[in-house]
Amino acid sequence: MAYLIHLAIISSLYAILGISLNLVVGYAGLLSVTHAAFYGIGAYTTALLTLYAGWGFFTSLVCGMAIAGCAACGIAIISGRFKGDYYALVSFGFNIIVFSILLNWQTLTRGPLGIPGIPRPVVLGMPLVQNGHFLLLALALLGVVYMASEWIARSPFGRALKGIREDEEVLRVFGYHVATYKTIICSISAMCAAVAGSLFASYISYIDPSTFTLNESIFILSIIILGGLANMRGSIVGALIFVLLPELLRFVGFPPDIAAQTRQVVYGLILILLMMYRPQGIMGEYAL
Amino acid sequence: MDIVPQLVVNSVIAGSLYALITLGFNLIYGTTKFFNLAHGVFAACGAYTVFWLVKIANLPLNLFVACAIGVICAGFLGWMLDVLVFLPLRKRKASSMVLMVASLGAVTAIQAVLAILFTSQFQTLETGGAGSYAYDVLGAIITETQIIIIVSSVCVVAMLGYIARYTTFGKAVEAVRDDEEIARMVGINTNRIISKVFFIGSAIAGLAGILIGFDTGIEPIMGMNILLKGTIAAIIGGVGSLYGGFLGAFVLGFVENFGIWKISGEWKDAIAFIVLIIFLLVRPQGIIKR
Repeated sequence: MAYLIHLAIISSLYAILGISLNLVVGYAGLLSVTHAAFYGIGAYTTALLTLYAGWGFFTSLVCGMAIAGCAACGIAIISGRFKGDYYALVSFGFNIIVFSILLNWQTLTRGPLGIPGIPRPVVLGMPLVQNGHFLLLALALLGVVYMASEWIARSPFGRALKGIREDEEVLRVFGYHVATYKTIICSISAMCAAVAGSLFASYISYIDPSTFTLNESIFILSIIILGGLANMRGSIVGALIFVLLPELLRFVGFPPDIAAQTRQVVYGLILILLMMYRPQGIMGEYAL
Repeated sequence: MDIVPQLVVNSVIAGSLYALITLGFNLIYGTTKFFNLAHGVFAACGAYTVFWLVKIANLPLNLFVACAIGVICAGFLGWMLDVLVFLPLRKRKASSMVLMVASLGAVTAIQAVLAILFTSQFQTLETGGAGSYAYDVLGAIITETQIIIIVSSVCVVAMLGYIARYTTFGKAVEAVRDDEEIARMVGINTNRIISKVFFIGSAIAGLAGILIGFDTGIEPIMGMNILLKGTIAAIIGGVGSLYGGFLGAFVLGFVENFGIWKISGEWKDAIAFIVLIIFLLVRPQGIIKR
């Protein structure tokens, strides 16, 4: 049971990450491979503020969202000029830059040593020590992110984004300020990723930069491509599959090191097969 | 002041390695117009083939023969990936983003397979003796392997320049690069040409991987690191341009190595990407525009 709760928490974290990345990739059509950077910003903000400044979880969460949002805003202004694969490459770059900062700004982040002993959130005076209670918080935040994203996707703003995805020039001719739309959606997406980061930090209680690498961004991208672009429920399904699938491999009885690598092989093959036979994923309404 | 000659030598070595990756990458990008992220992984494949031949199977092979087999193996794997994955996708007129994501999947899978076969630890190809003799050039240290790296990158660029200019194959590649449809209309088997390009490009990547293996060491993820540098060099120099990529690689090598003159070496990757972003903002077409 404890194991299932653990899996449920991890799945909901990845569902939050998937949904938020879907806003950028699925709706705005920008192939972003830098989501782990915002995830990391959220995690590090919560870790540092709760441990060293003694702030509560929720204030640190809001702070993390603000910082990630600002970072994404700056990144979007620079990368907004690029399209298609160039955009993807530039977003690669930002992930590596943020990773380098986490790894090398040792006075702040303790570098590769990581930050241990991050406290659990306190809700209504009660610390969420039990994983079951933490799961409720994670699900609640997942619900908030899901509803917010659905609302954005259905709003006129979301429709304009889809228009940008299909044909940017037309929207520009109609007088939409395309760059602003892209910047706003990137910031919102980054803020949601920071929520997942804060949850992750307080759940695992130890973070180090190796969690927030390019591979993690690729993993999150695989989730939404499998689940389907421009479909929020698809992202949740994708997250569930990608978290649970390797657990099945564990029961096959491979040694842990091999199991971890087999997982990577499976992810890679899934990506290739999806691209070849079903580029829109399980329930997507938009294909790259 | 005494550090400057060493920095120059290091920059030239790094530049030569990046050039090897960039040359193959540009060749493939030129004909297929997508970022083949799996390109770097063939560097690792080549290096691991040599590693297997020399260190695990312990075959009584001449080192050069082993390297040649490694290069051919890498080329063969590149060709196979094209035939199995990219060719069907191209026939379906998939967008360049789809091809890129598929190549991303290929990297993830191939890297993991290498890690399963050879463990994910950092290993060295160094066989003791061969290639480790160090020379002193104007106060900078350079090993035999590193001299081979520089020489081979110059040889490869000269060879590719020759092929592009004087052979029928080179002209066919040029035609596919300019317009695949028209090339097909005039009777060029474009898919065959592209497959061959994949073979050549991946073989060059394999050579780079083997040289890196002898110089520093090998690990399954080496492909991704070197590929990112190769891509940056390609964009700095001008994507798809043969000599542009060569030039871009050396620009990147110098900026990276002089960038860490005063700060810690761990910032190298970040510096490389900052250079990329500056170039994309200021001169997106690269140094030499195609």
